[in-house]
Amino acid sequence: MTGVTVRFGPVAALSEASFAAERGAIHALVGENGAGKTTLMRVLFGAQRPDSGRVEVDGRPVAFRSSREAIKAGIGMVSQHYSVIPELTCLQNLTLGAEQGWWLDTRSAAARATELAARMGYEFDWHAPSSGLSPAGSQKLEILKLLWRDSKVMVLDEPTAMLSPADSDALYASLASLAGEGATVVVVTHRLPEVLAHCRTVTVLRAGRTVEARPVGETTTDELAGLIVGHEPPRPVTDRATAGAPMFVVEGLRVRGYRGDEAVKGASLTLHQGEVVGLAGVDGNGQRELFQALVGTRPAQGRIELQGETWVGLRPGARLAAGLRLIPEDRHREGIVEDWTLVENAALGLHRRPPLAKGRLTDGPAKLEHAARVADRFATRHGGLGSAIRSLSGGNQQRFVAGRALAMEPKVVLAFQPTRGLDIDGTAKVYAAVREACRAGACALVVSFDLDELLEQCDRVVAVCGGLVREPRPGLERDRREIGRLMVGVEA
Amino acid sequence: MKAPALGLKEVLLALVCLGLVVLAVVVSGAAPAEALQRFVQGSVVGPASWRRTLQEATPLLIAGAAVFLALRAGLFNIGADGQLVVGAMVGAAVVLALPGPVGVGLGVVLAMVAGALWALPAGLIKAYRGGHEVISTIMLNNLAGFLALWAVKGPLKDPRQQTATTALLPSGSTLPDLVAAPPFRLNLALLVAVVVVLALAWWLSRTVAGYELSAVGQNPTAAATAGVETRAVTVRAMAASGALAGLAGACVVFAYERRFYADFSPGYGFDALGVALLAGSSTLALLPSALLFAILATGTTAVQLLGVPRGLSGVLLGALIVAFAVVRYRRRSP
Repeated sequence: MTGVTVRFGPVAALSEASFAAERGAIHALVGENGAGKTTLMRVLFGAQRPDSGRVEVDGRPVAFRSSREAIKAGIGMVSQHYSVIPELTCLQNLTLGAEQGWWLDTRSAAARATELAARMGYEFDWHAPSSGLSPAGSQKLEILKLLWRDSKVMVLDEPTAMLSPADSDALYASLASLAGEGATVVVVTHRLPEVLAHCRTVTVLRAGRTVEARPVGETTTDELAGLIVGHEPPRPVTDRATAGAPMFVVEGLRVRGYRGDEAVKGASLTLHQGEVVGLAGVDGNGQRELFQALVGTRPAQGRIELQGETWVGLRPGARLAAGLRLIPEDRHREGIVEDWTLVENAALGLHRRPPLAKGRLTDGPAKLEHAARVADRFATRHGGLGSAIRSLSGGNQQRFVAGRALAMEPKVVLAFQPTRGLDIDGTAKVYAAVREACRAGACALVVSFDLDELLEQCDRVVAVCGGLVREPRPGLERDRREIGRLMVGVEA
Repeated sequence: MKAPALGLKEVLLALVCLGLVVLAVVVSGAAPAEALQRFVQGSVVGPASWRRTLQEATPLLIAGAAVFLALRAGLFNIGADGQLVVGAMVGAAVVLALPGPVGVGLGVVLAMVAGALWALPAGLIKAYRGGHEVISTIMLNNLAGFLALWAVKGPLKDPRQQTATTALLPSGSTLPDLVAAPPFRLNLALLVAVVVVLALAWWLSRTVAGYELSAVGQNPTAAATAGVETRAVTVRAMAASGALAGLAGACVVFAYERRFYADFSPGYGFDALGVALLAGSSTLALLPSALLFAILATGTTAVQLLGVPRGLSGVLLGALIVAFAVVRYRRRSP
């Protein structure tokens, strides 16, 4: 791809960007939020028509008018937001849009699906509804969808954003085996260690331009980080908070999971005033259920107290009023209303608080002012507060959601993968703001599957495993090996 | 969001719609030019036409607001027609039992209560059992129809009449005309309808409850996470929608029909769906939308004299909504 330019109105998402990838290897495409990574890949995939530029596949110039044409030419893309339809079975999702012939031959389709899955070392219950899939499972299904369509070029946008480290490694292992069979794999990612560990070449985009493209062996994470942001990356913080009095206490919490089993089995956890606690763990160990129980959207038994006031029996609205603030895991489902403007979204969850509400009425000017502050907090790039939030890039939406959670006197900040899809700069800023809020008298619990991020950014890290919260031994609160052992259930 | 420019496809679509209408007129044996003239004269030329059109617009506005409110909460209230009928029936029954202005006031209130109660089961089923409101409200429409039929053949029937109808309401027991210059008439009910729409627009955009209702309609999971009691909002929205539909029924009885009879509604509740859909996301757009539907209804009634079937307005409205939907929902996906 050379000289690719894409304009959205007056804004140039890409200006003269170029990208090249050779067959049989994994290639990384990195860059800040809004640098144009996704747009560039959408051009390749035929989902975005470039204003100018050339795209060549196997040396032949192509100009896809639709994704359908791109798929025919052997190009497949897994977008950042999985397109798994929960109402359909896994098999139906797999074959959707690529059914063979007019009749649905479930049996032979399932046979071929199982064969494809076996090739990748995956296992699926093809006739189960896909709503039961974990993020890792959905990701695997998306990859199988590409194989089903005989893709030769596979583009994966942020494939590991939702995956645990073990799942990420497994993913790269399968990508490597695909590359070994002659596929061209392009990974759009923020996680530089992954790039260095698994990719052959890396292309850096900044503000819509290609600033660097070279083999991975000739670079380092530090250098890449510098190229991405264009200036020295912020250093990990070292000023750890001295924890104050116990503030938010969870004791013996039991929560039933999505399938009716007990997902949290008597978890206990204490957040002290001023501290940011990381909750590390492999995906599917009860983090999600624990989080929802603390929010109040999932019933739970046990003790939850904020500064001595019990939260048991309180509805989410009352908890929010008491100072609970959220950066939910799945922002599209839980965090924002996509068609709403930034102004309306900025108020969501805070809309009953003054000054946004005066009694039963909402205050328009106050909402506008609040939205401006939320957007400014993490330098959300947007095209006006009155535009729909869906027009923002994923990372910028996340910045906005994080800004909202920290905007109004938080007492307890609950964050689930708060830096999902954020670049280095954004990640640092979000954690800095969480810490700042905690300095001002709050406490925070951050759930993440990225242990290194938690170790770098949190005051203390605890592990969750099999529905239980496990604390590291004294003195080892930030010890990578200790917490890694707890995460996988090895007794200390 | 930028309004999409009209492309070739949209123009083609409009031409196809127009062609359909002309074809329908020609097939029924009328000259298109004459039909068009009748149509315009019958709906928007002269005081008598305007009286009919504004009369038609009254229930469409209020019931349109009812459907619009439910849509905002993510509910498709197909039951507006049944709620309207129940409201009209209760309103008429109250005033027949208690004539005079007090009776009218009480009739309006009880008509709204009746409409709300008629919608309530659908709301409860949706909120607590996940049963789809389209199914339950269609069922409730049928129940309303049979209930009304039983009432006007039984307890509410005027013994002096052959047909299944109540007695005419006493002349002091109706909503007054604001302007009465025959053949033009403008009833208080139309003002009520306009005020309902304005109030709804204000409520949706300026109150916490309106904000929460829209949040539930757009993304219930996000709303619940933001502390909104989504079930309560669903139930309340459905009941409020029913109350408005009931008000529409009462207005038709007290302002225009002055009695209740079998097959009372010519489908106001269903036209109201079109009114609300055509209004799109803007509450105030209910005003032109309802007016347009009213013009089409009175216009086709006028054209009927030429032998053009009344179903033509349905064809026209259907084509209109499809055309609108194509323009409005075009290329929304990112």
